[in-house]
Amino acid sequence: MLKNYIKIAFRNLWKDKSFTLLNLLGLSIAFAAALLLAMYAFFDLSYDQFHKNKEAIFQVYYTEQTPGGRALATSMPVPFAPALREELPNIKHVTRYMSDGALNLEEGKELNLRLIFTDPDFFEMFTFETLLGSADVLKENSKISITEETAQKLFGRTDVLGQSLNLLINGRKEAFTVGSILKDIPITSGLRFDVAVNFTHSPNYAENLDRWDARNHSVFIQLDEGATPSALTKSAASFTNLHYQGNIEDLKRDGAQPNANGNYLELNLLPFKDMHFADFSGDSLKVSRAYPYMILGIGLLILFIAGINFVNMSIARSAQRLREIGMRKTLGAAKKQLFFQFWSESVWIFLIALLLGIGLSLALESPFRQLFNTPARLTDLSSSTLLIALFISFILITFIAGGYPALVLSKLGTLKALKGKLDLAGKNRVRNVLMVVQFSIAIVLISGTFVLGKQLDYMRNKDLGFNKEEVIAIPLNGKRANRQNVALLRNELAGKPGILSVSASDNNLGLGRDGSTYFSRMGFDYKGRGVATNMLVVDYDYPETLGLQLKEGRTFSRSFSGDSLSIVINEAMARELQEKEPVNKQIILDDSITYTIVGVLKDYNFQSLSKKIEPISMFMNRDWDLYYAFIKIAPQNRVQSFEAIEDAWKRIEPNAEFLGSFIDENIDRTFKRERTMTTIISSGSLIAIILSCIGLFAISMLVVTQRTKEIGVRKVVGASVAQITFLLTKDFLKLVGVAFLIAAPVAWWLLSQWLQDYEYRIELHLWIFLAAGLLAVFIALVTISFRTIRAALKNPVESLRTE
Amino acid sequence: MLLQLNHIYKWVKQGGKRVFLLNDISLDVEEGEFISIMGPSGSGKSTLLNVIGMLDEFQEGEYIFDGEPVHSLKEKQRAKLYKEYIGFVFQAYHLIDELTVYENIETPLLYKNIKSSERKALVADMLDRFNIVGKKDLFPAQLSGGQQQLVGIARALIAKPKLILADEPTGNLNSKQGEEIMELFKELNTEGVTIIQATHSESNAAYGNRIIHLLDGSKQLQPQN
Ligand SMILES: Nc1ncnc2c1ncn2[C@@H]1O[C@H](COP(=O)(O)OP(=O)(O)O)[C@@H](O)[C@H]1O
Ligand SMILES: [Mg+2]
Repeated sequence: MLKNYIKIAFRNLWKDKSFTLLNLLGLSIAFAAALLLAMYAFFDLSYDQFHKNKEAIFQVYYTEQTPGGRALATSMPVPFAPALREELPNIKHVTRYMSDGALNLEEGKELNLRLIFTDPDFFEMFTFETLLGSADVLKENSKISITEETAQKLFGRTDVLGQSLNLLINGRKEAFTVGSILKDIPITSGLRFDVAVNFTHSPNYAENLDRWDARNHSVFIQLDEGATPSALTKSAASFTNLHYQGNIEDLKRDGAQPNANGNYLELNLLPFKDMHFADFSGDSLKVSRAYPYMILGIGLLILFIAGINFVNMSIARSAQRLREIGMRKTLGAAKKQLFFQFWSESVWIFLIALLLGIGLSLALESPFRQLFNTPARLTDLSSSTLLIALFISFILITFIAGGYPALVLSKLGTLKALKGKLDLAGKNRVRNVLMVVQFSIAIVLISGTFVLGKQLDYMRNKDLGFNKEEVIAIPLNGKRANRQNVALLRNELAGKPGILSVSASDNNLGLGRDGSTYFSRMGFDYKGRGVATNMLVVDYDYPETLGLQLKEGRTFSRSFSGDSLSIVINEAMARELQEKEPVNKQIILDDSITYTIVGVLKDYNFQSLSKKIEPISMFMNRDWDLYYAFIKIAPQNRVQSFEAIEDAWKRIEPNAEFLGSFIDENIDRTFKRERTMTTIISSGSLIAIILSCIGLFAISMLVVTQRTKEIGVRKVVGASVAQITFLLTKDFLKLVGVAFLIAAPVAWWLLSQWLQDYEYRIELHLWIFLAAGLLAVFIALVTISFRTIRAALKNPVESLRTE
Repeated sequence: MLLQLNHIYKWVKQGGKRVFLLNDISLDVEEGEFISIMGPSGSGKSTLLNVIGMLDEFQEGEYIFDGEPVHSLKEKQRAKLYKEYIGFVFQAYHLIDELTVYENIETPLLYKNIKSSERKALVADMLDRFNIVGKKDLFPAQLSGGQQQLVGIARALIAKPKLILADEPTGNLNSKQGEEIMELFKELNTEGVTIIQATHSESNAAYGNRIIHLLDGSKQLQPQN
């Protein structure tokens, strides 16, 4: 029996070569696209999931009721973790975690290393496998853990236990011994480092040992088995009230409202496995896997569209197989057997398409990884659970897309089938609904492409309030003290043609080639109120170098001697201080030091465009370090100027890598997610359109064949080519029209939801959606016209004879 | 008695009025008979054969097949009955285009779950008997009409039915081919197979041992009967 089915399946597939090819083409494209998107999405979803204890590990954060509303904080003070371990029950492990950079100081091999300061518990909690040495090596203050890769880089081999290492950490040289070698950190790890050292080496550790108001690192805890995070959160109330008493009193004084539990400051726990998906920037914690799921969703939509094609083609073609069905029934075939026969024919197509799709996705894997900037690999999908999930989805697709036409066919009455009568009206309705769905999806995706593209364009071209085209930012990663290097840079570049000015600050704009992001914020009391601001340490000429606009007062200047106690603020900070005339007003920091506001800058977007412009205050205290140099160049000869700067840096720090880049590149880098999303949605819509067109093409081919005689008669009676083309086309265009009416509101809603995430965003206009709809209509027209015009042009005598 | 029709009425509604396709048909068929149903085109021959073959419904009357009241059977049981006992031969042959001669003949056996070795033997016998061994790997489109009908009959016979229903089996054939088919039916009949054929040719009808005349869905009494 099976052999018989297989035989007839392949004979049928062979007989209808054009449909088999169109189906295989569509399905294999869909399978390939879905596989690649699944690879991308599952990679994202697998972030941080490899830790054996992930269910019991949490990141600690605070929810603070400030007068301006609720705010979240993940930064913890140094005594926090030890106190937590002492005072709260059910905590198995606690570790502090702070990342920093370090410079290896071995014989000319100056390497920038990613370093973390952490506690010995770290390696008990997290699954970072120790290959050599012991896992509790951090218990010894001078011992460190390094990864295999780092060992290879530093020593050229990996069996380096006991080797000594000199590291430059925050300008201080320290000697360590390698105590353990770790397996390389998996790429799906959110915690990334080359070197782990004991937390006691962290900056200002001794000064901050008992300070609860200086927060600078994250804290992770692992609960005892059976303990729940909510129980811990509850029992933490007294802990918080004790240690943050002063803080809470300030909040009360400033008029903050307590939360539903009556607390001003509340300790909360974020499940570690959600860390990659967590957003602390709002007034409540947002854990969202929407992005990977959206990508997975696009993959499913593509499969769905290809499945619709398959269903529509199978049903449309079934007219040709009615006699066979009737005949088989009179020969004794049961419904079940017929169903199985037709379904198995579909399974073959799906199987072949799957194999082709896998081949195609393997071939496209590396361009895909480049285009979407992802380290994900198809082999990541080979975990057993995922394979089973993929297998089940494949079976499900064949069952639905292959099963529906099989069901329709096997349920036909014997006589009807024998007479070749098929109640096509009902089936055409199903077909039309499916085609509307298909085109709706395509129109939604096309609108998405337009809107995302426009928003990205808008963000890239928006005037951010500073000069991003002619300023180069250089991460100061040299061996010498950073301030010294800035001075040397000034000297080297002084008078060079094309170099306009040199300055520095402790933070970058956008995302530099060093890949590091960081922010520094502080709060203080001003006129009996708590205020908060971002902090920026700058060097002379900073506003001038970046082209920031001065609103009133002055900027830091060499002609004023006391400028290390001056600050320059932005308009948002003036509002935060509630000062109409902020210049010459004074603020007191650290209980005793008085700073004077000397100037106000116009607001500029120093942060992401998803945020409102926040208050910022610039300091020029020479005791604080600078981490980035900024150099303004003339608009002419940008390339030469850039090279001159690189040369200068190489002369100053011959062993440090030059990571300078234009700020507009840095800003662009921050749009990575938007860019990837735009690429995914636009390629998704491209594939959706191609697939929908394959379906449309096939259906139009069938309809034209079915109506050959009608067309012939109409022509004989005197219909023109245009009239016939219109006749054949208008039914399809109606479907696209309905699809537009459904898709436009859906797309509008989805896209306006998405735009809500951006403080600075484009406006949605009807014409965007109209354009998407028109594009769909145009593409549909072109697709159909291949067949319809040919049919309309055909000599009527010919088409009548073939009947 | 193989089958018995008692006062069978079949009608369709057209414009609110009943149009009778079968009008009070009663018929007894004994095992071993060879019956020809005659009548002009549109007289209801095919309809009657389809009712007998349980492919079509009727509105009124009784139908007893091999002692089983067909009219009160469920669709599934009916299907089982005709699968077991009835073979169909059609005017348009109705061979499956994608299957070879061999495979077409074999198909009913597949639906009866007969073992492969037995199938082979049965199909080989049949090919032998109809002298089409040389054609077994050809597809229907490669055969003449007479040959196709031979295959159709071979297929109808392979499951060893008690009753063969043939709807104008020679309608698409020339007279020589038609005669051959009729001779074959005669031969089968002498072997004990009951045959009911519809035809509008007097000479073909004469092969049967009883002739029923139909006109507008009613049985006609002919003077010579
Ligand atoms: N389902 C149906 N609905 C309406 N009329 C039908 C139907 N089936 C058959 N008829 C009509 O019944 C009559 C008998 O048809 P049929 O049995 O095919 O005749 P014959 O086989 O003798 O040529 C014809 O007039 C035909 O048009
Ligand atoms: Mg007939």
